[in-house]
Amino acid sequence: MRDNDTERANRRTFLKFAGAGGLAATAGCIGLGGSGDGGGDGPDKIVFGQPAAQTGQWDFLQPGVSQATDAAVKHINDAGGPLDADFEVVRRDTAVKPQEARSVVTQLVENDDALALLGLFSSEINPLFDFLQEQETPVVTPWPGSNFLDTRGGDHGTPDDLSDDEWIWRTVISDTVHTAGAAKRALDQGHETVGVINGNTEGARSWADGFVTAYEEGGGTVAREVEVSQGSSSYQSALSRLFDAEFDAFAVSIPLEDAITLMGDWADGGYGRQPILSDPLAQDELPKQVGSALDGAWAASPGDAGPNYDTFESEYNSMDGDAEINGWTAPAWDATQVAALAVERAGEASREAVEKNLGPVTRGEGTEVASFEEGKEALADGDEIVYRGAATATSFTNFGNVFGSVTINEARGGSFSTLETIPAEELRQFVSEDEY
Amino acid sequence: MGLAQNVVFGLVTGSYIAIAAIGFTLIYGIVNMINFAYGEYLTIGAFVGVLSAGMLPLPLPVAALVAMAGGGIASLVLARAFFTPINDTGPVPMLLTSIGLGLALRNLIRLTGGRSARYFDTETTTYQFDGLPALAVGPVDLLGDLFVTSEQLVVVGSAVAVFVVLHAMLTRTDVGIAMRAMGDDESLARVRGIDTQFIRDSVWVLAGVLAGLAGVLIGIQTNVSSSTGFSHILQILAAAILGGAGSPYGAIAGAYVIGLVLALSTAFLPAGMTGISTAVAFFILVVVLLVKPSGIAGQEVREA
Repeated sequence: MRDNDTERANRRTFLKFAGAGGLAATAGCIGLGGSGDGGGDGPDKIVFGQPAAQTGQWDFLQPGVSQATDAAVKHINDAGGPLDADFEVVRRDTAVKPQEARSVVTQLVENDDALALLGLFSSEINPLFDFLQEQETPVVTPWPGSNFLDTRGGDHGTPDDLSDDEWIWRTVISDTVHTAGAAKRALDQGHETVGVINGNTEGARSWADGFVTAYEEGGGTVAREVEVSQGSSSYQSALSRLFDAEFDAFAVSIPLEDAITLMGDWADGGYGRQPILSDPLAQDELPKQVGSALDGAWAASPGDAGPNYDTFESEYNSMDGDAEINGWTAPAWDATQVAALAVERAGEASREAVEKNLGPVTRGEGTEVASFEEGKEALADGDEIVYRGAATATSFTNFGNVFGSVTINEARGGSFSTLETIPAEELRQFVSEDEY
Repeated sequence: MGLAQNVVFGLVTGSYIAIAAIGFTLIYGIVNMINFAYGEYLTIGAFVGVLSAGMLPLPLPVAALVAMAGGGIASLVLARAFFTPINDTGPVPMLLTSIGLGLALRNLIRLTGGRSARYFDTETTTYQFDGLPALAVGPVDLLGDLFVTSEQLVVVGSAVAVFVVLHAMLTRTDVGIAMRAMGDDESLARVRGIDTQFIRDSVWVLAGVLAGLAGVLIGIQTNVSSSTGFSHILQILAAAILGGAGSPYGAIAGAYVIGLVLALSTAFLPAGMTGISTAVAFFILVVVLLVKPSGIAGQEVREA
């Protein structure tokens, strides 16, 4: 008897707690709390989502991006938060796999009520493009360089008209821009003819295509292009095929591990001529493994030359983490800042409001601001604002892209060092405004 | 450059595929299973080698011996744990088990070994024993413009050594002769008093040793990562089938065909198609099997 009573009491207790839990769980759905999606009454909490590379092939890049995002969150909350609400970023791992990303985006949008997403790579966005459009949630991402996105994003210059919006914004410059930098420098160096060797993944091809397009538009001639299977144990055959052609320099676009093998084979074969490397190859591991044969090889990388890089850097360094700054770190800061400013300017916490205000807080006339704190103050004073970022000026084009300078890094003595910076305006001639 | 140089590259590629394919085909011929986890044995050997050479640090030849021992031990332990208990259930459960084991091993290696690639230090120090002259480092001139690198010479030399030792073992030792007998007819071998379990264990160890060596040879040319073995398993499988599954001599021949096809297709396919050299290798495999379904040496070895 006692046992049965206990069991009944436990069941009753369980039902009581389950009922209370259910009520709490459904409260968000029926508008009793949370960030909401259409409220204008001042939410308690505003949530952004961050699809992240916490595992997978690119997980070594995520710590810097996470630290930059966390620094931005702290900065924004210290300044009072968007619409005076607590600001939070929910981070979920996609492993940079499209199917995982699809699931994570659904969770962030449906369960976490994220107003905007501060992530996703090219290899996730490109195959999920239609799915992301259906979410009608702004994606402000620091990752993708793919030229696939050059004309797929932004608000088409009509911020109040959502019907033509493509909901993707990126705060990192496209492959189109830094390959233009590589092409310009190759031509400036007098390399009138080049060979190109690239891997067979989308990223490797994207860089090679961008370089070839810019180089040929600049008047250069591509003597031979060779594509190789990544993961091979030897690239000697491909190199012998490439170097049967006559050219002054050769461009290499393949992930780092394969590039070490490929350039090692190139050094062993004594092929010579000037190597031009894709931007992910500007890492010290390459000259360290290949050796002195690589001295003089150079890469054109996105520059960290935004007008307010110092603001970002000091906030970043004030955090507890010790993640190294990489090419996507400052763009992550910019993505968080600009999305929060869009909420502030909108005056309401909805996805549509964020989408409508991402363009207006970054372009046109207004008070130039370096951070959310300055932006919040200016907006409170009734001013229009123009955010000027850390990685670039973050002035979104009609297609949701940014334009920035390109840094030339040269390998010498086992490491890369900055040789020169090509200002953004010198690269404009390579990138048509109606195509970017 | 041109054809002759690419033939040299193809022979190098064929050499390390051959070493691995011999182990793969011995398992098929004697244990009677297609072991898809075999690629991970290469990875285990490569990791043991690179860690031995980098952390202890050992000279490369000693690290290679440690890797071979590591591969052999891993192969035997895994066989005893996963394959021996289901040995009588037929080829399909064994095949599925090997696929599952391969997946588990790959992810385990990724978790414990990390995602970053590791590199052998192939500078003079790792080739050199105290008191002995260093092996040549850098390209070595052959005839005319032809060249081969010192690492590639090590690969080819290792392969030749393996072929000689293997041939001697299979023809001159009791274990080798027993292996051939089991490959031909296990029941008859048992009737003749051969300890079939011991021979099976010997095959597992030998296959693991060869996988460990192949892993190191791939590693000194490229790098070592959790996907090292997986990215080569199709080439190994193709070589074994092309040569005549179960035939070690056929596997050697099949490996060199695959190596040459990979090198020559990369060198001579039209622009934009050079990334499909592995597909070309498989196309050649299909063509050869259409002409000779038993593979290059399948029939001859069975009659030997």
